[in-house]
Amino acid sequence: MENINLIYVSLEQIKTTTIGVYIHRELNEADASKNAVLPYVLRRGCKLCPDSGAIEKYLENLYGAQLHAGVVNMGDDQIMRFEAQTIQDKYAAGGEPLTEDLLRLILSVMFEPVTEDGGFKKSTVEIEKKNAKERIASVMNDKRVYAMQRCMEEMCAGESFAISCRGTIDGVDAIDAADLYDYYKSAIVGSVIDIYVCGSADEERLRAVIEEKTFGAEFKPAKIPATPLHKKSGDVKRVTDRMEVTQGKLSIGFSADIAPQSKDMFALMVMNSVFGAGAHSKLFNNVREKLSLAYYASSGTIKQKGIIVVNAGIEFENFQKAYDETLAQLECIQNGEISELEYKSAVSFLVNAYEAIKDSPEQLHHFLADQRVSGTNYDIDYCKEKISAVTIDDIVRVSKRAELDTVYFLTGEGE
Amino acid sequence: MELKHKKNSAVGEEIFFGKHPSGLDVFIIPKKGYSKSYAIFGTNYGSVDSDFIVPGEKDETHVPDGIAHYLEHKMFDQPDNSNVFDKFSRLGANANAFTSFNMTAYLFSATQNVKENLAVLLDYVQSPYFTDETVEKERGIIGQEIRMYDDSDSWKVFFNFLNCLYKNHPVKKEIAGTIDSISRITPELLYRCYGTFYNLSNMALVVAGDVEPEEIAGVIEAGIKKTEPFTEEIRRIYPEEPDETASNYAEQTMSVAMPMFMLGFKDTDTDCGDLLKKSIEVQILLKMLFGKSSRLYKQLYDGGLINATFAAEYTMQPDYAFTSVEGQSGDPKLVYDTVIKEINRVRSEGLCEEDYDRVKKVLWGTYIRSLNDVEDMASEFLRMHFMGVDYFDYCRAYKSVTFGDVKKRFENHFVPERSALSVIKPVERE
Repeated sequence: MENINLIYVSLEQIKTTTIGVYIHRELNEADASKNAVLPYVLRRGCKLCPDSGAIEKYLENLYGAQLHAGVVNMGDDQIMRFEAQTIQDKYAAGGEPLTEDLLRLILSVMFEPVTEDGGFKKSTVEIEKKNAKERIASVMNDKRVYAMQRCMEEMCAGESFAISCRGTIDGVDAIDAADLYDYYKSAIVGSVIDIYVCGSADEERLRAVIEEKTFGAEFKPAKIPATPLHKKSGDVKRVTDRMEVTQGKLSIGFSADIAPQSKDMFALMVMNSVFGAGAHSKLFNNVREKLSLAYYASSGTIKQKGIIVVNAGIEFENFQKAYDETLAQLECIQNGEISELEYKSAVSFLVNAYEAIKDSPEQLHHFLADQRVSGTNYDIDYCKEKISAVTIDDIVRVSKRAELDTVYFLTGEGE
Repeated sequence: MELKHKKNSAVGEEIFFGKHPSGLDVFIIPKKGYSKSYAIFGTNYGSVDSDFIVPGEKDETHVPDGIAHYLEHKMFDQPDNSNVFDKFSRLGANANAFTSFNMTAYLFSATQNVKENLAVLLDYVQSPYFTDETVEKERGIIGQEIRMYDDSDSWKVFFNFLNCLYKNHPVKKEIAGTIDSISRITPELLYRCYGTFYNLSNMALVVAGDVEPEEIAGVIEAGIKKTEPFTEEIRRIYPEEPDETASNYAEQTMSVAMPMFMLGFKDTDTDCGDLLKKSIEVQILLKMLFGKSSRLYKQLYDGGLINATFAAEYTMQPDYAFTSVEGQSGDPKLVYDTVIKEINRVRSEGLCEEDYDRVKKVLWGTYIRSLNDVEDMASEFLRMHFMGVDYFDYCRAYKSVTFGDVKKRFENHFVPERSALSVIKPVERE
């Protein structure tokens, strides 16, 4: 099991055990669509449960255990993911080994897929291709997410990060059951696979199940894909899309050119919180509360790319006002206009958020995976310490590195 | 305030509870080993309560739609001009509030300073302060919230569905109201609603986390400002709602990638005694009929008519209830017809007992999971409390459900004549 890392975290206070499998792949044009379809095809049947119906009944017998297939990306790392959860064994009527049985199913799904004629089942692949295309097309349904995604796509045009982890319609269309199976065979032994188990379980038993299910697999050396930072080039990019909508969505990307491993990353996180993350932030208190321009106006970081992105839902005609105010607020930070309250609130907001991860297995998986992808491997308490050590001077210093890069606006058809 | 104590060792949970002389119901749920604590202070008052009689008055009061939600926004303004969020931020808490059909709630989560944050929560929710200027300022913000919902396909498909099911019940109205209805909201109306529904005898407070119950009770005692409970009930006026639906189909065009739908059934057995038992019965049925292991799901999924967004849910209040099934499909009408056909098949052939046994286990897992997160658990507890249901009673209700009950519930609830379909169609592009 050379490529497989089992990370067990005991969470005795909660009543479930959560298993997260992260299969790390490089985000690139050639493979993105395959990675976007593959986990869903695997989820449809395996040696242990030959079809969907059998899988669902197996899960129901584990008191409604859940198993979700999916694909996400952290920077240029496209992650095929299985997230599963069961109640802890002690809450089962007969004390059945629920966690072990759930892990056994996940591993069968990963390593023992159903095949026909040397490929995946054609009918299964066709249905999952259809579903993958529906996921790609449906990105436009949530206008807030869509606007932000379009902004990032424009900002990082030409970089791998601009490729959607959902794949493309053409890419999915080109998939066939035999080729996908060949790709699977090389990917499953040629990727770093992290398995997070958070809750209550016997770690040695889990390791034994993994060894049993991967016996004979010939793993090849694999690495976690690296992500280059985004670098601003040339003039500010301004893009407007039109759609039949009643509210405009503004999305503004800033490049900060700070890497996840940099000691300035913690300062950037606090700076982002002063700027737009939380009800104490400048965007909330000015764009929303003072000017009544928006119901939401906030900022977030894309850590792997060193990017800050602002999002707001506004009237079409208020574009300029909201844009001007956003830039004015960033300038305030750059000029050192940060109150003691803003500073303290931003720090405690983040410290609180880190501490709260300890109760949430899903957030814990995400935190651990983020550390892994960033190559930092900090623990929660270390992050809390580092956030608390950030000073107002640090915030001002990193804020000056934030450069306006891309301005995206989704507006109405007639505007 | 005297605290009583209940324990359920089978699931490892306990609760301390009491009634303050002000009429406020208090619940404290200790969760050992948790980093996060959560408090939710709610009033039994939501978007459906725009027509009522104030205790001690004879005449009906009618207020504009969306006022409960507007009031929630305005509770954050304080008489001394201080900012509530600043106080919470200083103490490292994450504060928020929400308004639903039947409840308005103010809450925070924190990993430190729980008692101090609780004092802030109690203080601001008991300190209304509305002026012409502050009320006016909010119209732009809430206007943008309404516009955001106008562009939300999942929101629109839901309300169009409710407008099919209900002829008169105010649950069919949008929670935030309309740009027009909120234009009529004034400080006087806000004070009138506050004076009625924020009387502590109409409110409850739930705290969950690794806390000392006696200490928390002490903070609550010290933080309560007013102590005269209403002696009469607030009379809420809901119009007569017939059993039949208003219509069985609605459609709207929006900027979406593919059609989406919501279909479901109106529950007319609303005054049944044991709501918790009823909800378990319906949830078992939803899994048996629409769950991923069901015959119907397999038929629709393999036929390419639905994708993984397909999901079924039961919404229940004492005076209205319905099931809803939503998803994306190239042909929502065919999905609807297939569902009705399956309901009719089960009506003639009967439910499968083996499926029932398996699915009932699933509900146990769902219950255990609901105790995991302090936020989910406390919110669910409060929501149930306002319905007159004790969520700590779940094990009793769960054990009492039989296959016979579920069969009866199926006959009673899944009636094709009381079903409806709401569809959002994509804008046709040239």
